[in-house]
Amino acid sequence: MWRNFKDSFIKDNPVFSMFLGLCSVLAISTTFNNAVGMGLCVTIVLIFSNVIISLLRKLISNEIRIPVYIVVIASLVTIVEMLVHAYAPSLYRSLGVFLSLVVVNCIILGRAEAFASKNDVFSSAADGFGMGMAYTFALVLISVVREFLANGSVIFYDPFDPEKVIFGFAFESLKPYTMPLAASSVGAFLVFACFAAFFAMLKNRAADKEKEADKQ
Amino acid sequence: MKKAMLSVLLLALVAALAGAAITYVNGITEPVIEENVANEERENLLKMFPDGEFIELDGYTMNDCILSVYEAKDRGYVVKAAAYGYNTSTPIIVLIGFDKDGKTIGISALQQQETSGYGARCFEKIFMEDTYVNKTADDKIDTLSGATRTSSAMQKIMEAAFEAVSEVR
Repeated sequence: MWRNFKDSFIKDNPVFSMFLGLCSVLAISTTFNNAVGMGLCVTIVLIFSNVIISLLRKLISNEIRIPVYIVVIASLVTIVEMLVHAYAPSLYRSLGVFLSLVVVNCIILGRAEAFASKNDVFSSAADGFGMGMAYTFALVLISVVREFLANGSVIFYDPFDPEKVIFGFAFESLKPYTMPLAASSVGAFLVFACFAAFFAMLKNRAADKEKEADKQ
Repeated sequence: MKKAMLSVLLLALVAALAGAAITYVNGITEPVIEENVANEERENLLKMFPDGEFIELDGYTMNDCILSVYEAKDRGYVVKAAAYGYNTSTPIIVLIGFDKDGKTIGISALQQQETSGYGARCFEKIFMEDTYVNKTADDKIDTLSGATRTSSAMQKIMEAAFEAVSEVR
């Protein structure tokens, strides 16, 4: 289980090595704040959808499984969206349409199909948590680089009270050298590609090591 | 046949439960959301006229631009207006304050996602204060080169706002 959890961060990271859910990753990783908010929303939906689908897995026949998954996921996303809208309006505004688009995030449907429909409730919940955290981790990595390059600062606000800054750092001396490109979609692709290459390198190295160990 | 019926029943049951859950959460969150929206609108209006008392007005010609017109008691008017600039998916929404004679006294952008470095320059504080504040309906409103579509949208908003204010005055 722990191994699974660790693997989901680097070897099987849903974003960097399976290339799932890229649409929202590229769009929402403009600021650290958005990344954390989006990551948590996806994690919550993932855990609950995995748990519910795992509970229903013996009842659902093969023919209707996809409609059932969609109904479950869509209602969870709607509920999360309404809660965010009511209690964290500033986060709701900055996530915009991408919050509703969590419904079609392929990580969630993918985990429902590949894991929750075959495993027991507890490990499905753990899998949802692991995958959600790995997605958040990927988003945070990209967003920190993008926000730093574009603004020369990284700031995290309290989502329930946008006036309050929880933590942040800013380099005033870097302000004249910021790159607005990083905040645009081009920047998203560039930063994402660099990280994806780095993670592929880590993965290949691990594979090579295993091979050599096998030879000896 | 029996299996198909069971499947249909199960799907219907899941859908019904999901619907019930959504309705329940909606019942809790809807009043909070409405209150948030009303508070936010009031806070924006207060930026134009601190300590003002606001009444929503009608009696202006409805068009695409004007979202709402408020009267700040004895002090002037606030117009909320929207138009599309270069970004055709997110409209520009601005709040414009007028004094009793129909002269603009303030403007603030509530929402805009124009291209940064180009159209977004229209919403820089210095440009906005120079271009849109202290104007009457007869003044010409400047545009910004390199941001033609954004500033045309702003001109459209200003024209519509002047018209609406002259109608309610």
